[in-house]
Parts: sequence; structure tokens; C-alpha cells
Amino acid sequence: MDYQTSLGFAAPLAVAFAAIGSAMGLGKAVGSAMEAMGRQPEAIAKIQTGMIIGAAFIEALTLYALLAFFLVMGKIGA
Amino acid sequence: MTKRTLTTFNFDFITRTLRTTGVLLLIVFVVGIYYFGFYDSLAVLSAGIWSMVNLIFLAALVRTALKPDGVDKLAAAGLALIKFPLLYAAGYFLLTVEFFRPIPLLIGFSMVLVVMVLKAAARAFLKLDENVINHESSSRGLA
Repeated sequence: MDYQTSLGFAAPLAVAFAAIGSAMGLGKAVGSAMEAMGRQPEAIAKIQTGMIIGAAFIEALTLYALLAFFLVMGKIGA
Repeated sequence: MTKRTLTTFNFDFITRTLRTTGVLLLIVFVVGIYYFGFYDSLAVLSAGIWSMVNLIFLAALVRTALKPDGVDKLAAAGLALIKFPLLYAAGYFLLTVEFFRPIPLLIGFSMVLVVMVLKAAARAFLKLDENVINHESSSRGLA
């Protein structure tokens, strides 16, 4: 298997793994936030803000993976 | 009164982050045209604006969908429909436009996050949150 073929296999797989990781992280974050909101309804605003910031960071990680894919795609020669 | 102050304080953080990012993006755009060229600066500005709009929709979606006093399903569905397909299609368009290089896009996408981290670090460094918590405790008669 040559360099370009292996890169062609690895790059989409890497994006897929990044998406799976982000989805799991986001699910865990939202789940924990919901649990915390249920326990402490008076702190909803604080929890929501923390959750929004966390979700933005997790989304950004997926975006970086996608950007890395586009950077690598130029080398695949597809 | 205390609760209102805290709520304002919390959602204010995101609003102030967005405002600071907007100003920073404009400065970077103007300075970047001179130093890095028009298209690279435009890429930073476009990606930064996309990131800001994404954060606005994310905040609106969370506030609409996660409420203890009933969810406005129509508003939540509308926001989700705008955020996920349309905003991500715009992001894909930015990534595939030929005259935008990935590195300036990366800088633009990261701008909101950098501002957020720096603001949070400054709040922690200046101990601004501790003052708010102490104020809250004393107004409840706990301190």
C-alpha cells in the first residue's frame, strides 16, 4: 500500500474518530449538565453558561479535525 | 435581586465574549490586509464571524431547549434546523472555497475560543467570580 492510498484510508477514519469522540464528550457534558440542573434548579444559568462554553470547545475540536482533513486532502491527490 | 444579578452576570459572559471577538476580528481584518493580504484577512474574518454565529445559535438553542418551565418546541426545532444544516453548510462552503487557505480559517475559528479562555483566565486571575460569590452569600446572610 503506497503513501497516498494509506493517507486516503486514514484521513476519513481520523475525522470519523474525532466526530465519535466529540459526540461522546458532548453527550456526557449535556447529560451531566441536565443532572446538575435537576439537582440545583437555582443554578441553571451558571450551569447553562458552562455547558455552552464546553459545547463550543468540543465542537471546535471536530472542526479542527475537519480542517486537518482538508489540509491532508491536498496531499492525497484525489 | 441576587438571582437576577447572577443570571445577568452569567449570560453577560457570552455576550461580552462575542462583543470582544467582533472588535478583535475587525482589528485583525484591517491590520491583516496590510500584512498578510486581503484573502487571508477575509478568511480570518469569515471564519471568526461563522464561529460567533455558531456560538449565538448554540447559546440560544441551549436556553430554549433546556428550560425547567417547559420547552418551546417550535423555537427549539427552528433553531436546530437553522444551526445544524444551514450553519454547517456555510462552514463547509468556507472550507471548500479555493482562495481561503486552511490556516487563516483555523485562526478565525479559534478566535472566539481564545477570547473566551483569556476572559475566563482574567476573571480567575483577578478573582472576580469570588467577589460575586461572596456578595451572593452575604446578601443571603450566609457569610
